[in-house]
Amino acid sequence: MALEKGDTSVTRWIMIVIICGVILGGCGEKAYHPREINSETDVCKVCNMSIVHNEYAGQIVLKNGDYETFDDIGCLMDYIELNGDGEVGAAYIKNKATNEWIDVYKAIYVYNKNYWTPMNYGVIAFATKDEAKEWMNDEEEGQLFAYRDLLTLNWGIHE
Amino acid sequence: MKQIMLFFLFFLMTSQTAYAEFDIQYAIDQAKAGDSIHIPAGRYQGNFTVKKPIKLYGQKGTELYAQNDEPVLKIEHVSNVSIENIRITAKNKGIVANEADNLELRAIELKDIRVGIHLQQSRHIRILENRIIGNESHFAEKGNGIAVFKSEDVVIDQNTIEQVQDGIYAEEGTRIDVQRNKVTNSRYGTHFMYSSNVKVLFNTYLQNVTGLMVMMTTNLEISSNTISAHNGFNSYGLMMYDTQEAMVRENSFLHNRVGVALQKSSVIQIQENRFQMNQTALEGTKVDERSIIMNNQFTGNILTARSDNRGLRLIHNFYDDYTGLDVTGDGFGDIPYVAVSSFGQWMVRQPVYQFFVASPSVVILTSLDQQINKTERNLMVDNEPKLLSNMKEIEFSLNILQLVIGFIVFMGSLWLWKRGIRV
Repeated sequence: MALEKGDTSVTRWIMIVIICGVILGGCGEKAYHPREINSETDVCKVCNMSIVHNEYAGQIVLKNGDYETFDDIGCLMDYIELNGDGEVGAAYIKNKATNEWIDVYKAIYVYNKNYWTPMNYGVIAFATKDEAKEWMNDEEEGQLFAYRDLLTLNWGIHE
Repeated sequence: MKQIMLFFLFFLMTSQTAYAEFDIQYAIDQAKAGDSIHIPAGRYQGNFTVKKPIKLYGQKGTELYAQNDEPVLKIEHVSNVSIENIRITAKNKGIVANEADNLELRAIELKDIRVGIHLQQSRHIRILENRIIGNESHFAEKGNGIAVFKSEDVVIDQNTIEQVQDGIYAEEGTRIDVQRNKVTNSRYGTHFMYSSNVKVLFNTYLQNVTGLMVMMTTNLEISSNTISAHNGFNSYGLMMYDTQEAMVRENSFLHNRVGVALQKSSVIQIQENRFQMNQTALEGTKVDERSIIMNNQFTGNILTARSDNRGLRLIHNFYDDYTGLDVTGDGFGDIPYVAVSSFGQWMVRQPVYQFFVASPSVVILTSLDQQINKTERNLMVDNEPKLLSNMKEIEFSLNILQLVIGFIVFMGSLWLWKRGIRV
């Protein structure tokens, strides 16, 4: 009889732990991880070009779990301008220095009309200012931008 | 022993001769303006540079190759250069021309290269009758067959290009004529970006990801091309993105996933083309009202057209699935042709639905659409669909030679047969 009582108590605790786990899990923020680009099947959501220059690629993970891929930061910004960022779970762009995904909202951008990018918008992303400056030392000097500056940038090729 | 000696002698006689004594770069450096240099047949290793107005002719069997990543042949800051009849093999780029004026590249074979011909900031260029074959890797790892950057007055004529990223790529170019070329098994047959005054005539694009990709380009003429078998998941025969003022005329779009797609484009005229056996013949999103689709023939396509809520203007086209009559006898159907399809609209939003094309449920849905949409008056409606196709009827003709040969063969067979019976 005592054993049965103990069993019930343990079962109850286990149930409480599971329920708490589920509740806490549900309350936690959903993680939106980037995925790798597949050049064979991934095309830019905006301009339809297939993504062959991986080092300039971008992607948005929507809150419903869908992925939208982009060949250039300019196309990604075009998408956000058209659709807003209400449904955006996370947005990533490739770091030109390391070819790794970085947060679009936290990235440092360098603009120079002579920088080549797939859509020729001339904007390249880096994780840190130091990486951006190192790039400019090797290439031409450019203008440093933050994400908010991209919202008002006149996208397109410039003479 | 004698036989072995003869065997080696045979090899020595037949192997390609390398004319080590002929120094191409020295010959170039010594040449005067306007000179012609004839390169003897043989294999020449190196990276060669032309900086003066000369003509380079290769004898049959002349090959230049480089084992480093530098271009085999560089043409820089020069006018009036002509290169002809040479074979080039390179790990990276074959020919690079920078700030060249009046340059002609003719009958050059570029094989196993990453980039065939790379041209920048040049004018009055003729790229004629060349053959460019890329390597076997995925198109994402390749370069372009012919790449033209910031150049004007460029004629690219009668080239054959295979297995590269983009067969012909032009960026920020003006007056670019692409004609009578054949591009196969590449990403895009021809790709224009930020260019103007462009002509694409009499080309053949076959089995690429997309035949012709036009982006941010104005003032185009695309005529008499054959664009077929582009049927991958993201394939198009012709894709126009953010394009203005284009005439697309007398082309054949055959067996493509989408024959022609227009996106964010304006003043586009699509006339007298043949759309045959495509999964979707026409697709339009954000196309302006000045763009028209007129006098085309749509035969054997699964879906004629699909669009967003702005629709497409269809005028006087022939549709093989039109079921109306012409009681008035004016050559046009008495009731409008409505191309709206619920399934087609869904496919615009979710391309993955293409895998359900021609499934029983979609066929039923399309049939229902055709009944319900008879009242549609605005979106993708051709009010006067043409009833007779423009296809030329093959006239009856008699080939006398074939007739005589056929008659002789027939009589001979008859004679042999009779002889066999007698025996």
